[in-house]
Amino acid sequence: MNKLVHFFYETGKLKDIPRRGWVLIGMKKPASIMDHSYRMALMTWILGRRKRLNMERAIKMALVHDLCELYAGDITPYDHGSVLPKDKKKWPKLFDTWPRFSKYEKMQNFLKKHKKEQDALKKLTKDIPSEIREEIINLWRDYEKGTSKEARFVRQINRMETLLQACEYSKETNKRPYNSWWIGSEEHIDDPLLKEFMLEVARKFPHNPKKTKKKK
Amino acid sequence: MADQKKFYLTKKGLEDLKKECEVLKNLRNAKTKGESPKLWESEDLNPEYLSFQEDLEFLETRLAELENVLDNFSLIEKPSKDKLGVVDLGATVTVQVDGAKDEFVVVGTLEANPALGKISDESPVGHALLGGKVGDEIIISSPVKTIYKIEKIKYS
Repeated sequence: MNKLVHFFYETGKLKDIPRRGWVLIGMKKPASIMDHSYRMALMTWILGRRKRLNMERAIKMALVHDLCELYAGDITPYDHGSVLPKDKKKWPKLFDTWPRFSKYEKMQNFLKKHKKEQDALKKLTKDIPSEIREEIINLWRDYEKGTSKEARFVRQINRMETLLQACEYSKETNKRPYNSWWIGSEEHIDDPLLKEFMLEVARKFPHNPKKTKKKK
Repeated sequence: MADQKKFYLTKKGLEDLKKECEVLKNLRNAKTKGESPKLWESEDLNPEYLSFQEDLEFLETRLAELENVLDNFSLIEKPSKDKLGVVDLGATVTVQVDGAKDEFVVVGTLEANPALGKISDESPVGHALLGGKVGDEIIISSPVKTIYKIEKIKYS
């Protein structure tokens, strides 16, 4: 039990670790990794009811998919290579577009992130009972690879929760529409139910093109 | 009743799923015959299969999912010469978007992994690219307007 208390103590720190994307756009009270995982679990359950999923597996996956970020950090596409300029004031503008990489860079970024997160998850779970450790690691592996239908659904829920949060921040700050999350979602989401969800989010948070500064 | 959806797979994707199906069937047989410890401890066993060790129900579910896919797949093949200039499943498409270059391979939903540039033909962007030719501008505007200009189409 002692080891489990320590595990919950460590994972509890995720309540205070802000999601990197919200920090980059300059939010004063950015949602935490735990905030994100909690709403993801809720969305997985409620939206997933209309699909034939192993719900227990899907919800567990939503709950554990970002545990690794406790030690690995929240690595966004903007953290790869030299995407981020030194001047922090320029960071929010980067979210007008989705960062682009070559095929080689995509593979390198993916492998580097995967290795870092896997090592972090092993470190976090090393002292808890083996059956729980194995389950957590295998759920994460499935999520990362998108092997099962539950994993493919939860991966897309991850994007939808993030898109919803971006829209909420856009409305709250009345600043940028944060196009990046829209563009990324249009390239990622292929689940019919979540495409419908995305359209509904678009209706609730109408895009104001005047907010976007056009490149000359 | 089994899902009647058609699954589009590359040759590599099909080989991987067939292999996974075969391994899982062997694992199931070993488990029912009580041979599991030896097989599970094999160094050749891919770590991702370990999730099935304790969860026979998940193994059965995954096997059913794989069998459904293998009963309802369509192989993505290189198109005929006169259609090589048109985006279809399996095409590697180079686009200019927001002033930057990107490259997508259009695949079926089971093989999609946008982080690696594999984009699903059922995603809004993947779907809109289908049928496109070099020079075409694909406009996605729901709700942010983004233009993907097709620069190159390649099949391997």
